[in-house]
Amino acid sequence: MQTSSLVVGWSQDAGDLGTKVIDYLIEDLGCQEFGEIEPADFFPLEGVAVEDDVAQFPESRFYWCPEKNLVVFKSNPPTSRWYKFLNCILDVAQDYCHSKELYTVGGMVYFSAHTTPRELLTTASLLEMKQILSRYDLARDTNYETPPGQRPTLNSFLLWVAKRRNVAAANLWVPIPFYLVGAEDPGASWKTIEFLDRRLGLGIDFKDLDEEMARQNERIAQLRITLPEIDTYISRLESNLSLTQEESEKLAREVEEFLRKKD
Amino acid sequence: MAGWHGGVVMAVRLRTEPKLENPVLIASWPGIGNIGLIAVNTLVGMVRAEEFGEIEPWDFFYPKKVSIRNGVLEDLEFPANSFYFKKTEKRDLLFFIGEEQPTNGGRAYAEGTQAYQMANLVLDVAMKFGCRRVYTSGAAVAPIHHTLRPRVWAVPNTEGLINELKGYENTVLMSDIEGRGGQGNITGLNGLLLGVAKRRGLEAVCFMGEIPIYLQGFPIPYPKASKAVLEVLTAALGISIQMDRIDAVVERSEREIERLYEMVPQEIKEQLDKLKYVSSAGPSEEGPITEKDKRRILEDIDRFFKREPKED
Repeated sequence: MQTSSLVVGWSQDAGDLGTKVIDYLIEDLGCQEFGEIEPADFFPLEGVAVEDDVAQFPESRFYWCPEKNLVVFKSNPPTSRWYKFLNCILDVAQDYCHSKELYTVGGMVYFSAHTTPRELLTTASLLEMKQILSRYDLARDTNYETPPGQRPTLNSFLLWVAKRRNVAAANLWVPIPFYLVGAEDPGASWKTIEFLDRRLGLGIDFKDLDEEMARQNERIAQLRITLPEIDTYISRLESNLSLTQEESEKLAREVEEFLRKKD
Repeated sequence: MAGWHGGVVMAVRLRTEPKLENPVLIASWPGIGNIGLIAVNTLVGMVRAEEFGEIEPWDFFYPKKVSIRNGVLEDLEFPANSFYFKKTEKRDLLFFIGEEQPTNGGRAYAEGTQAYQMANLVLDVAMKFGCRRVYTSGAAVAPIHHTLRPRVWAVPNTEGLINELKGYENTVLMSDIEGRGGQGNITGLNGLLLGVAKRRGLEAVCFMGEIPIYLQGFPIPYPKASKAVLEVLTAALGISIQMDRIDAVVERSEREIERLYEMVPQEIKEQLDKLKYVSSAGPSEEGPITEKDKRRILEDIDRFFKREPKED
């Protein structure tokens, strides 16, 4: 590749956003895997986790779509030697793929209803990148400091590593309604992919994603009819009214359980 | 300067290079009750040691704070790993204080390659300035009551230091602790540094202040043991400092611990109170309770707090 852009997504993200966005790009554009980061230095490897009856193993894989000058990276978040891991990603992107721009995908938990239009927030590594992003309808004037007792996200760490290497990079954040954090949020995926499509000229077919959004909205509408209490909670969020912790937990639990059930 | 450890180049940044004569290194990382860290931080503050360098943290640590201004990432802050120095009439002092221990995954203490790399980087700097003696400090979890004065367990990395350590007041060796036969473990970097120093031909001693077994699981500092460590450390260094500042901290901590102690169920408290008469310093210092009593108390405490005794 003479030039490319890199998109990074992590598993275990809020609303599974990182994985969903990367998988959609891979599927829709027919990206091919071309490399991986060996897990030994970065994951504990003290056995395997079992999820949904299946043994899991950490994966950190690169895919590419030469026709679109696109490289994507999908990975479990490493649990040690983060700096070395993040530099590995940029080494591959810069040395082998000549990537000029880097985007990370991430969901942030938000107290809003799923019917509220999704917003895309960005943080840039360099001022030049912020200027590039100013051509798009994004929230890009964020001021933020990690609150005491919390830690920055891996995406922020990657953005810092990119800044040190003078790479134009941006974190893309979509607020995810808190009751979809444990499930999936196709609306957030749509918002992220729509921006990447415009910015990188990918020619994405949104049909599958549109259908998925419509299906989820229908199912939640069905749940609201079945459980008036849930309808009340969501209506209050739609009116910018708050919920108690107990109400919030119940809403998240009911929605997650309902969406997990097969059609 | 850069160190080549484990096939990875890691950097130490020194802002100045002070002229030091045969300095001793005093290093500390967080541990149980932050006993060693509080002792060394207090000493650094009391002698007004000057910060002069650091180990670049990003190879070892996850960042602790991000700052974003107007949509652009401004800074990422990592746990501090700083070197300090102080020239004194008696001897020159070199300090290293680590805000966190480098860990793989979610463990509390450093281990493995990264711990070894960090220990070597700290000693690279110490040896660059001609250091031949290293002190670390930590906690010794012991069956004692919080109203008693904690003793300091001293572990050297060479037999040649044992006689010197025996000369310090309120200090015991592992072989003085009943039932240990001179054996034990020192977890994390406060212990590992002794081993790495031994490998590189440096003398080293770890001073561990006793913390009551029932306090080890609480996320609170135990400055009473830090003061005990500080007393022994300053004696070993041949310097004297005012203890007013740490005395005030100890007083506040005592009040907090008493408040927690009042919340312990009466039945357990009665067992814990018997620890006021326990001596773990060997058969020559018999207390008013029997060995059988002592074993039962420890079993009760262990059941209540579900923890094993250890050192760090």
